[in-house]
Amino acid sequence: MTRRSFLKRGLFGGALLAAAGAGLAMWPTLMKHHPRKPLLVLDARGFAILAAIAARMVDAPGADPIEIAHGVDVVIARESHEAQADFRQLLLLFDSALAGLMDAHVRPFTSLSFDEQGSVLYAWRDSRLALRQSGYKALRNLTAAAHYASPTCWESVGYPGPPKISGMVATPAATP
Amino acid sequence: MSDKIGFIDGNSLDGELTCEVCIVGSGAGGAVLAARLAAAGKEVIVLEEGGHYTRADFHMREDEAFPMLYQESGARATKDLSIAILQGRAVGGSTVANWTTSFRTPESVLDQWARVHGVRELGVGALNPHWDEIEKRLSIAQISLEETNRNNRLLYDGCKAIGLEAKTTFRNTRNCFKSGYCGMGCPVDAKQSMNITYLPDAIAHGARVVSRCRVDRLVVEAGHVASAECTVLSSDDYGYAETPQRLRVRAKKFVLSAGAIGTPSILIRSGLSGGVVGRGTYLHPVIGVTARYKDPVEPFYGAPQSVASHALAHRGDKVGLFMETAPLHPMLAAISSSGFGPQHRAIMTELPHLAAHIALAIDGFHESETGGTVTVRPSGAPLVDYPIPPRIWEALREGLRTLIRLNLAAGADWVLSGHDPALRFSSERDLGQLDSAPFAPNRVNIFSAHIMGGARMGDDPARSVVRSSDCRHHSVSNLHIVDGSIFPTSLGVNPQETIYGIAQLMGDRMTQSWQ
Ligand SMILES: Cc1cc2nc3c(=O)[nH]c(=O)nc-3n(C[C@H](O)[C@H](O)[C@H](O)COP(=O)(O)OP(=O)(O)OC[C@H]3O[C@@H](n4cnc5c(N)ncnc54)[C@H](O)[C@@H]3O)c2cc1C
Repeated sequence: MTRRSFLKRGLFGGALLAAAGAGLAMWPTLMKHHPRKPLLVLDARGFAILAAIAARMVDAPGADPIEIAHGVDVVIARESHEAQADFRQLLLLFDSALAGLMDAHVRPFTSLSFDEQGSVLYAWRDSRLALRQSGYKALRNLTAAAHYASPTCWESVGYPGPPKISGMVATPAATP
Repeated sequence: MSDKIGFIDGNSLDGELTCEVCIVGSGAGGAVLAARLAAAGKEVIVLEEGGHYTRADFHMREDEAFPMLYQESGARATKDLSIAILQGRAVGGSTVANWTTSFRTPESVLDQWARVHGVRELGVGALNPHWDEIEKRLSIAQISLEETNRNNRLLYDGCKAIGLEAKTTFRNTRNCFKSGYCGMGCPVDAKQSMNITYLPDAIAHGARVVSRCRVDRLVVEAGHVASAECTVLSSDDYGYAETPQRLRVRAKKFVLSAGAIGTPSILIRSGLSGGVVGRGTYLHPVIGVTARYKDPVEPFYGAPQSVASHALAHRGDKVGLFMETAPLHPMLAAISSSGFGPQHRAIMTELPHLAAHIALAIDGFHESETGGTVTVRPSGAPLVDYPIPPRIWEALREGLRTLIRLNLAAGADWVLSGHDPALRFSSERDLGQLDSAPFAPNRVNIFSAHIMGGARMGDDPARSVVRSSDCRHHSVSNLHIVDGSIFPTSLGVNPQETIYGIAQLMGDRMTQSWQ
């Protein structure tokens, strides 16, 4: 596969990260976040990377990076095997200093400062490589959705929650 | 529990079932067809991969509703993730989660299908009597301007302020409380979705509706479908995991109504690929704005979609547009806005003051627009690709410009685009930013909730999958397709009523020519 066709395949579109995968295992991840319950798709390292990303992505009162990472693990567990494998690879690639070389940092994402982590996220977002744009989008949307789907966010965004409708039931539709 | 009568969970079945007609998918197409065929005395089985839920299950919470009612927990997207796809997965299909907007197919679209795509016997004249009947059954009626929420009212006022026509929509509701939760399953059975209308009608005529039963493939022998091979899905965690249980359904006729991603993927998994199968997928690609108003908008309450403007539907040679609203609950707001960290938080805390308006591009009407594709991965899971051509980007840019202008005219403090980083517009002077803004994949949020095409109808077997007279497959004699996948183009209006009308008409034609 040429480099070009490799990059043109979408994030969840196949084994696009596989080629990069081989070299990734050697870069040490800073394991700051640990799972609270059994993991479904991720391993402890992937979980630590994802939680670190969640901590930087989702800045909201009550946002818990560990809960968010568990929430994303659940969503990914419902995806196809191909998408699960892609997502695991994406996390390793994201944390690797190898990828960081492109953005002039040589430590893994998990051990960078707040500002440095922000620069990495911007570099992925603004990259000309489709793979990195998609990767940013996946990580952003999955972490944001995991937090903001949950009632824990309601107060902080001024959402009063659903109305009380118990006892209100529309009359059954007439049959033709 | 009485709500559950007649609905069967696949987990309670084993081995083999037989019937006259096996319909795959219980959404807009499958449900109406099932009711029509069952009423005509046919023995019908409907197979649905999603679960069967009732109003008691609908707690108006995004964390429950999305995994319960949407494909891939709501995280479905095109393969580069540049277009987010909302599509239903439940007994009743996307109609359980949809926003109730109901339009008959524009005559100009049906004319184009006849002229360009060889679609015969599918004019307004053939469909009108069915629409009359369906509108009665589903209580489809126009909402008054007084009943709309502020989000919709702002779209209306903004359109008028910049000289564009806008109207309130027709909705399939009965005694609607306008709580704002159509997208999470109606908690009071006001929305006349398929799970409480045509599916119970079908059951009243003896049909069986089997949930958590995913059709993996059809077994095709000598130009004839012999059976549907199914996997029963778990009753836990919203039914995503497979159980070891398998079902086989034998029938005289089979109908694919699995939606415009499900149907092409079943065809491909059944060895019926080739030709235009999985090609010509249209999405009404959507671009949106969030606009901030001083007085609260509360975009999470009230009938979610009740104003539409078709003022830009015909733009000569250019791709047409129509404009509507979207409800904003916290999760939808979080993913439709952009940025991360403190920036994103700053937008989210404005939620009660935000309006959300969308422009939908009317794709597929120019010969250069071949649409997207549906393929399957090695596991069998579908994969959608939709490279947006420059013509459609132009339309989306124009749609965005119009949405910004109308919100500023309606009094918005500022308007944000879905770019990342978001562009901010506080006055018409800021519109110049649009000329240099990127309109490219993953540079600006694009959505779709209208998946169409992929198994189109027509009279030429080389350019279509089913014939238009009765939606029968060109070469497999006992296979029909009745859902959004048969459209040769998009519509320019929300699709549900078109699918209902075609399904009922095709039910009659199938009965008339029954062998
Ligand atoms: C959030 C949202 C809002 C919308 N708002 C509107 C609106 O306001 N107005 C409007 O007109 N339209 C709206 N739509 C779109 C509209 O609901 C759909 O266009 C319409 O329901 C499509 O009908 P269909 O029969 O093609 O497929 P669906 O209604 O999607 O039904 C297909 C069914 O097949 C099932 N299926 C798929 N594969 C398999 C398989 N292998 N085995 C068994 N079952 C399978 C699916 O689970 C699904 O239940 C909206 C959609 C969404 C998601």
